[in-house]
This record gives sequence, C-alpha cells and structure tokens, in this order.
Amino acid sequence: MLAHYLDLSVRSFKRTPMTTLLMIIAIALGIGVTMTSLSVYHMMSMDPMPHKSSKLFHPQLNTRDQGVNWWTQDDLPHQLTYIDAKNLYQADIPALKTPSVKTGYSVHLNDDQIKPFMETVRLIDNDFFTMFDMRFIYGGPWSDESDNSGELVTVISAELNDILFGGENSVGKQVFFDKVAFRIVGVFDDFDYHVKFYDLTNGAFNQNEQVFIPFSLIEPLEVNNWGNTNGWKYEDIRSFQDKLNSELVWLQFWVQLDSPEEVTSYKNFLTNYLTEQATLGRFERQDVHFDLKNVMQWLDYNNVVTEDNRVVVGLSFLFLAVCVANIVGLLLGKFLKRVPEVGVRRALGASKRQVFMQHLVEVSLLGLIGGTLGIAIAQLGLWGVRSTYSYYDALATMDLSMFLAAPLIAILACIIAGLYPAWLVCNTNPAYCLKTQ
Amino acid sequence: MLDIKPTISALRRSKAGAFLLLIQIAIATAIVSNASFIVYDRVQYISQDTGYPEDEVFSFSLNTFGDVEDLSQQMEQTEQLLRNMPGVIDAVYVDSVPLSGSGSASSFANLPRDQNEQENYREVRAAYIGADEHIFEALGVEIAEGRGFLPSDVIVTNTRADLPPVAIVSRSFLDEMFPEGDGLGQHIFTGNMGAQIIGVVEKMKGPWLKDSRPDNLLLIPYAEASVYQNFIVRTKAQDRSEVIGKIEDLLLEQYNERVIINLRGMDESKARYNAADLLMVRMLIVLMVILVLVTALGIFGLTVFNISKRTKQIGTRRALGARKSAIVRYFLVENSLVCVLGLAVGITGAIGLGHFLMTEYSLPKLSLYYVVATAIGVFIISLLSVLIPANKAANISPSIATRTI
Repeated sequence: MLAHYLDLSVRSFKRTPMTTLLMIIAIALGIGVTMTSLSVYHMMSMDPMPHKSSKLFHPQLNTRDQGVNWWTQDDLPHQLTYIDAKNLYQADIPALKTPSVKTGYSVHLNDDQIKPFMETVRLIDNDFFTMFDMRFIYGGPWSDESDNSGELVTVISAELNDILFGGENSVGKQVFFDKVAFRIVGVFDDFDYHVKFYDLTNGAFNQNEQVFIPFSLIEPLEVNNWGNTNGWKYEDIRSFQDKLNSELVWLQFWVQLDSPEEVTSYKNFLTNYLTEQATLGRFERQDVHFDLKNVMQWLDYNNVVTEDNRVVVGLSFLFLAVCVANIVGLLLGKFLKRVPEVGVRRALGASKRQVFMQHLVEVSLLGLIGGTLGIAIAQLGLWGVRSTYSYYDALATMDLSMFLAAPLIAILACIIAGLYPAWLVCNTNPAYCLKTQ
Repeated sequence: MLDIKPTISALRRSKAGAFLLLIQIAIATAIVSNASFIVYDRVQYISQDTGYPEDEVFSFSLNTFGDVEDLSQQMEQTEQLLRNMPGVIDAVYVDSVPLSGSGSASSFANLPRDQNEQENYREVRAAYIGADEHIFEALGVEIAEGRGFLPSDVIVTNTRADLPPVAIVSRSFLDEMFPEGDGLGQHIFTGNMGAQIIGVVEKMKGPWLKDSRPDNLLLIPYAEASVYQNFIVRTKAQDRSEVIGKIEDLLLEQYNERVIINLRGMDESKARYNAADLLMVRMLIVLMVILVLVTALGIFGLTVFNISKRTKQIGTRRALGARKSAIVRYFLVENSLVCVLGLAVGITGAIGLGHFLMTEYSLPKLSLYYVVATAIGVFIISLLSVLIPANKAANISPSIATRTI
C-alpha cells in the first residue's frame, strides 16, 4: 500500500512541479536555518562524558567572611584558593581527585632545529588521566611517586609529539619548558571533548592543553596562573609565597565519587573541613556553605550554552513555523484542486482513512526531500558560522544525531502542515465531487 | 469606494487561507522587529568608539625564557629598538593591553581602607594598566585636562614595588568616583595606598568591552618587567602591516631566548573579542532576509491560489463593467485587511517576545520604533507580493466567465 501511495505522491509532484518546488524550498530553508542553530546548540549542551559525567564533581567552598558577597548566583566562587586546593588534595579520602591550574611555557628542545613556541600547560595530579579517560599512544601517566616528589616529568599530546619528534615514540626523551628540562613519560591521543569542561574559566570551547605536568611543581617552579585570579578582600601580595597563602581563588579541583554513599561521605568531609577552617580563624562565618556540582551541573552553572545561541534557536523554530504555515497554504491549493480525483477514488471504495493516509504519505515524502536539502543548507550555514567565528570550529558541525534529526523534524513539520488540508480533502462528499466533473 | 463589505464576506468564505496569511505576517513581524533590534544593538556595540585609533595600534606578548640578569634593562632596550624602527610613532611595554580581553581590574576608593566606615566612602571598579610616559603616544590618546606622566614619575622595576603616587584616569572613572566634578587633583586609594589623579583622558576603554565598567581605566606610571610582557606599538595606519611583518625577526635578532605571540592589530584584537557578536548579527540578518522572502512567497502563493479559485468571479465582474483597477484594488484591499489584522497580532507578539527576551536574557528593552518600522515594512512587502498576481488577475478576459459556466 505504501508503495502505491509513494507512486501516487511522485505523480502528484510531477503534475504540479512549481508548487512542489516551492514547498520543498520552504521546508528546506526552514530546516536549514533551524539545523544550523540547533547543531551549535546541540554541541554546546551535549554531555561530554555520558558514562561518567554524573560521577565527577567540582567542589566550591565559601571561605569568605559572613556578609561578603560573590557575584555568582549561589554566592560561591568558581575556583579554590591554593590552601583549600592543597588541603582537599592531601585529604585522606579514598577517591580519585586532582587539583588543576593552567599556565604556559616556551616549548623547545634546546637546539637549533625547532624555534621555541608557546604552549599552554596544565598542572594536575596523575589521577586526572584516569578521571578524564585520557588515552595514551606511547607510555602512560607518571607515577604517584613523581606526583609526591615533584619530579620533572611530563605528558604531551600527540599533536605536540608530531611537531617535536615527528610522531615517533618520545617516551624518555627530553623537552624544555622555558629553561627547565622535563622527561616525557607519555604521549596522549587527541582529546575528543568539544567542551573543555574540566576548566571553563577562559572559554569553554578553547583547545585543551598540549602539555601536562605534576601539580606538585607549582611551588618549586613558582607557576604563573594563566587562568583567572579573583580576590574578595585587600591583601598585600608581593611574593609567590604570599599568593599561595592568600585568599585569592585561582585553582580548579575535581573529585570522582562513584556512589551516592561516597557523595554523602565527601559532603560530610567538606562540612568538617570548613568547620575546622572556621575554628582556625581563617574566616568568620556562622554557617557552612559549599556545593558539589557534577559535570552537567557545572556546565549549566557556567552558562556554557550562550544566551545568544538560545535566542537564535528559538527564533529559528519560529521561522520554521512560518515555513510550515506557508506550506499549509500551498497544500490547501494543491489538494483542493484534486478533490474531483479523490471523489472518484472514494466512489470506487477508498475509505476516508485511506485517502487521509495517502495525503500524509505525500507530505512526508515532501518532508524527506526538503529535510535532505535542508541538511545541505545547514552545512552552508555552519560553514558560515565557522568562518565568522573560528572559536566555534569544533561546535559548528553536525553529528550523527543531528543528521538523523534533520529529516525527522522536516517530516514532522510537513505532516503537521498536511493534517488540515488532508482532512479537508478526505471529508469532501464524493457525490458532490463527481457531479462537478 | 474600497468595497470593504464584499471583501470581508469573501474572506469569510476562505477563512483558512486568510488565517494562514495572518499567522505568517504576525510571526514575521514579531521575529523581524526583535531580530533587527538585536542586530542594531550589536552593530552599535561592535562599532563603538573606543577612544583609540585602532587601525594604527598593534600589540604583542613577549615571553622571555632565557636567564636574563636584568629583565627591566632588556625590556627598556627592546622598547628602544621598537621606537627606532622606521614607521613607528611610539612603543611601550605594558602589563596589559586595552580591548584585548585580558588584564587586571580592582576596586578603587576615594578614602583609605582604614576609613571605610565613613559615610562618604565609595568604591569604584576600574581596570588599570602600568606603563611609562610613552603610553599616551603609543595608544594615540590625549590628555584632556591636567598633565601627562613625567619620566621622573615612572617607577621602573624588576620586582613588585610600591605603586606610584600619581595616576591618570578616564573621564568615565573620574565622574563615577567623584560625582561632584572635582576629581582632578584628588586622591584614590587601593588598600591604604593613595595616588593623586593628575590627568584625565576623555575616552579610553579598558581591556574588556563587556565589563560592567568598560569605560573605567587607570593608567599608572609603573613599569614592572616580567617574563611575560606585553607591548603596544603605534605606527601610521598605512605602515602598520609592514612594521608588524618585521617585528619577530628584529626582536629575536636582539635576543633569541624568547617567544613572540599574539602579534596583531588593535582592530583585530577587538574583532576577536567581539566575534560572537558579529556571528549573532550575521545569523540574525540571514534569518531575517530568508524569513521576509519566505513570507513574501507565501503571500504571493496564497493570492495566486485565491485568484485561480475566483477566475469566474473576476470574469463576471469584468463582464459587468468593473475596471481592471477595481480588480487590482479588490485584491489589495483584501490583502490589506488580513495584513492589518496580522500586524496587530504581530505587534502584540513582538512586544511580548521582546519582553520575554529582556526578562529571560540580558537583552535590552525592545524599542517600539523597531516594531513600527517592521510593521510598515511588512505591510509594503505584502502589498508588493499581491500586486503581481492581482495585475495578472485584472487581465482575465470577461469572456472566460461566460465560456465555462
């Protein structure tokens, strides 16, 4: 039956090529515009680690005096002080955890072959590699010992390995960050997270760091922070040590908690920790104020999906509604002209339902064609987005789910457009139709 | 004259078509007035005057990784090298660059911190940039009131030193800090350290155009050398790209254990910072253009359909003596009736949508001017879309009517 309906649809298209073309253009434009904005939205809002995002948590601590407000919605700073990051890091809690902070160095091999260039560098505990599922092509993470002793070891990206060593196994080789020689222990495969969710401070969609070094090097190397540093009270900070002891917030921290029990016990730990810090006289607060956000909560809290994008997605769907209204108009004209033919079919025994279905199949086919064409238009739109804003390079693309969604939305839109005209046609009295022939 | 009564009764008989037209016109009006308002708002923002000759200035960052004994001395030498380059008007090393998107900001007060219990104690947020007396020439800004820095004001240092006792500020900061208008010559404080305001620059934007106080900027005569140092250079506009091209080789020739990054014109830095806004502008313009086209096509299609249904009626009217202009007028009036109704719904929708966008998102309040302008535009476009098929209808021969009865 479906084959027959499809055949009828194709014949119908051929009979009114102009109207059909207009309808296809309308739905294709509607889908093209909608999918352009929706694809960017989809990539922005997508869960970067679906299997694990609910287990990775970023703690936020309120270590300010009572009455001092922060500019965030829940009055908590995004980042931690060095004191807190270090204390949480060294706490005796059986969970994977890592402090982290971004810096940058001139990378070179101390020879004339490669002109020194700048790279961003991240300081982490080796738990980071496990927590964020990083894959290695050579070597692996550094040891816990290196973490504790502050050994000059590093893990670099495959991309950097290509530049420095032509893609060869570089484990054991030396690389210089500024004037300091580091030993490479691992080369990690390219990151495929489009959102840099472990550190959203300087743009959620920046490229990830190409170099990782142990967090314990922060003190001996007097590491400069390349991220944001925020303060809430006046402190006379002159030396690096002053900064480490200060109430400035500038570090990120992640902890992996696999079960609700672990979350509860970690919250208890944080409560105790803050109570203890308050009794030590670090700050004056009556209440204990902190939060533990998992990856998706963290993305939401940091407004990773931009307002602009939400607005454009909304307007695109309104635009799609205009296209649908347009198609309804065209379909009304087209289907009503066909009333006499339908009269014959009805007189020969076709049920109302069959006539209705036949017309819905026809509009679905229209949606399929328009949707496919819409994907092409969306590609053009996404290309325009990328060339306007290179920062969106990784976002302005369609993944498989969007490729599938495009024709589905198109077909749905066309069916909605076709409901009323099809209903009108199948409700026409066959006798009346035959009479006017 | 306009035959409104028969037009309405005809419309009543094709409610669906009229309703669809109405919906399209309403949605189009709602979208276009809001989108065009956002576009205007963003274009204003992108093309705002920053106070700098953006096409003459460029900046770069210099990361020195070699073991330099006296970094300060080296920065001064590098600065001199840049100033001596042909085509360069002035150059200066700074801790951060205006419009670049990165820098430092703090709260400044009109009284020392130990007097913060006082009633007239006031804090104002401002970005600050430390540099020597060449900063004005390098940025292309002028002192409007007071004086610039003297070489003797400038603290040149390798390590963190006490801040200098003088500062030059933007007008916007001065007016916010001292609303009585007597700011010049007064002191501002960070902690208990004070600095006297010795000069005012009419307009100079800080590092972040999207800051809550983008116009508040302080310049202090303080040149602390750092392994990660920013430089600002000004040339004549036509010389800039040539000078930029020579920078890296020249600087590495002077000393090679350093890396030059972020070498770009001030206009480019600004464009990078505002790229998301440009994207929004472009997306909305494309959306609006396509939307208007689709709506016009829709009106066109519906009119063609209406005419095809009424061929006999038109023929009959013509046979009974109606002029061609009467037929055209009939369709124009019909369309106008629907259009006005659609516009009424659309204007309400536009204001509602504008209100929604304002409360849900950080968008400014929709100005009614855009709604009215859009409504007029949509009305004209709808008339034009009707005109072509209506003219065709007017040419229907009276004989058609008699032939097919």
